[in-house]
Amino acid sequence: MIQLETIAKQYSGRGQKLTAFRCEALTIEDGEYVAIVGPSGSGKTTLLSMLGGMLSPSTGRVLVDDVSLYDQSVAARSAIRGQKMGFVFQSFNLIPYLSALQNVQVPLSFAKLSAEVQQQRATELLVDLGLSERLHHRPAELSVGQQQRVALARTLVNDPQIILADEPTGNLDPTSKEVVLKIFDECHQQGRTLVVVTHDPSVAERATRRLTLVDGNLVDSDEIETSTLRPASAA
Amino acid sequence: MNLRSIIWQELKSRPSAVIFNSLTILLGVAALVAIRHVTVHSEKEVSKQLSNLGANILVLPKDATLQNYYAADQNGGSLPEEHVAEIYLAGLSGVEQVSPRLNVATQVDEHAITVTGILPQSEVEALASWQATTMFMNTTDTGCCQRTNVVSAQQLASPQALIEHRAIQELDKNAIVVGADIAAKLGCKAADRVELFGEKFTVLGILPTTGTVDDGRVFAHLHEVQRLSESGATCNAIEIVGCCEDAAGSLVPQLQELLPNAKIVTISQVVQTQVGVNQLMAKTSWIVLAVMMVVGGAGLAGAISSNVQERRREIGTLMALGATPRYIQQLFLGKALLLGLAAGAIGCLLGVSAALIVGPAWAGVSVTPLVGTSLLAVLLATFVALVAAWWPARRAAQLDPCICFREV
Repeated sequence: MIQLETIAKQYSGRGQKLTAFRCEALTIEDGEYVAIVGPSGSGKTTLLSMLGGMLSPSTGRVLVDDVSLYDQSVAARSAIRGQKMGFVFQSFNLIPYLSALQNVQVPLSFAKLSAEVQQQRATELLVDLGLSERLHHRPAELSVGQQQRVALARTLVNDPQIILADEPTGNLDPTSKEVVLKIFDECHQQGRTLVVVTHDPSVAERATRRLTLVDGNLVDSDEIETSTLRPASAA
Repeated sequence: MNLRSIIWQELKSRPSAVIFNSLTILLGVAALVAIRHVTVHSEKEVSKQLSNLGANILVLPKDATLQNYYAADQNGGSLPEEHVAEIYLAGLSGVEQVSPRLNVATQVDEHAITVTGILPQSEVEALASWQATTMFMNTTDTGCCQRTNVVSAQQLASPQALIEHRAIQELDKNAIVVGADIAAKLGCKAADRVELFGEKFTVLGILPTTGTVDDGRVFAHLHEVQRLSESGATCNAIEIVGCCEDAAGSLVPQLQELLPNAKIVTISQVVQTQVGVNQLMAKTSWIVLAVMMVVGGAGLAGAISSNVQERRREIGTLMALGATPRYIQQLFLGKALLLGLAAGAIGCLLGVSAALIVGPAWAGVSVTPLVGTSLLAVLLATFVALVAAWWPARRAAQLDPCICFREV
């Protein structure tokens, strides 16, 4: 479970304080599929960064499984991210000098798993995502859709409970976008928590809950009852 | 996948940047290693030459330099041979052995060689006896000779004595003693006949290899060399073995008074001059090192700093995936470590190779690799690289991980 308590993020500049995000209280239950929508500059990425333990709020607390993220050390937050969270980026953020297989192995290396286990898990996941012929290709040698699938494999390889996605389909063609959304649906069905920042209404529609941000304020929250997508545990 | 493999893969993906970034350190190490090798071997060579010299006082023409003496160069001028007799006649205490030398360049079978004329000790002793001097073996009268340098006639009997004692007891006018290098060039051995200045000489013996200029010389009777080279009764240097250091010290002013037109040089002066030159070289090598390392370190710091800037999103992504700040710091320090080690090792190899070529060619000293110096240079390069990368690596570790969400 993710909880935000009286959170605000302010930036200072030119003698002024700009509030990028503000929220009195927000709870995201385990297994929820949440879409965060809003125009550019509304604070979506700021919220996602704070949820991921990567941007400390100016005030308030972020709790993940009742642990206050920003009361932990930087190293402890890194460990929490490595164990519980997976990130999906709009530009995939694959490491250019590593092969697809090596990119997927990176999060496993932080978990201190042996090279054999790393290779086995990463290979299985890439094969499942239809990339068996591309294991040793570097990102520059892959299509955009393949790059996003490698990035998804990297996100999922540590079996994270929480997936945080920033415009995951922003750079994809319709076919690749559908592949990604199907994977998200599967993750949701497996009981993982998904928080997806998106501009795209069709992506937001797949979520069970939508949060709308305008000028850094969480102004609207609606819960969409979609029994087909709701995980078994939450039904 | 681990830290090492990430560092290695990143380095492999940008080989030209790797080479460029570490080039200054590499060249600095190469320069240091080359200079140190030549300096150390030069010191050893000086020490060896001085040891082989045996004499502790040299009488040289006024305009001659030590280089003229070592190189058997006659441009430094000549001395009248009668100075030998004058030294005996003066009855200076503490003189044990006097050896006049005349160097003459000539050719044998198209090989340029130096013939050194020497006076056998039997003739020197006869001269001393004729002059009725009593200075030889007069070690007790002077009260200074606790450690005598006097050698017996038996010890001077073989040609090898020229190496060990700088003198030979007997040398016929038609005999020569040949240095090891010349013997190898001419393919001659003891009892062979060799033509010098148009006359035949019998090889009395071949000297063992000494690693000094003596290897490239042919020794003949002084008077024969004077006659054949039409030099008259002259020599280029007179080597004097004093009975002890105190005697040598007091001898110098006496000799200067006796031979005002000659230059009197003691071995201690030679040592001081040569050691001074070597110390200057050693200090220069450290200055070169300091400059190269500062420039190399600054260059590497700049390169790592740029690398951090270029890889900000990658750093943020790694942090999002679970990398700790310490891991990020190690990522860049590890890269610097590898660059420093590689630059140090390659620079070391280049430096040693350069010293092996330049040492004999420019400084006239044979060079062998010095393991300690080489290892020290590699460690120093690694240390400089780590220090240079410390600040950029620390900055990378302090980056805000949410940078991974931005387009940078």
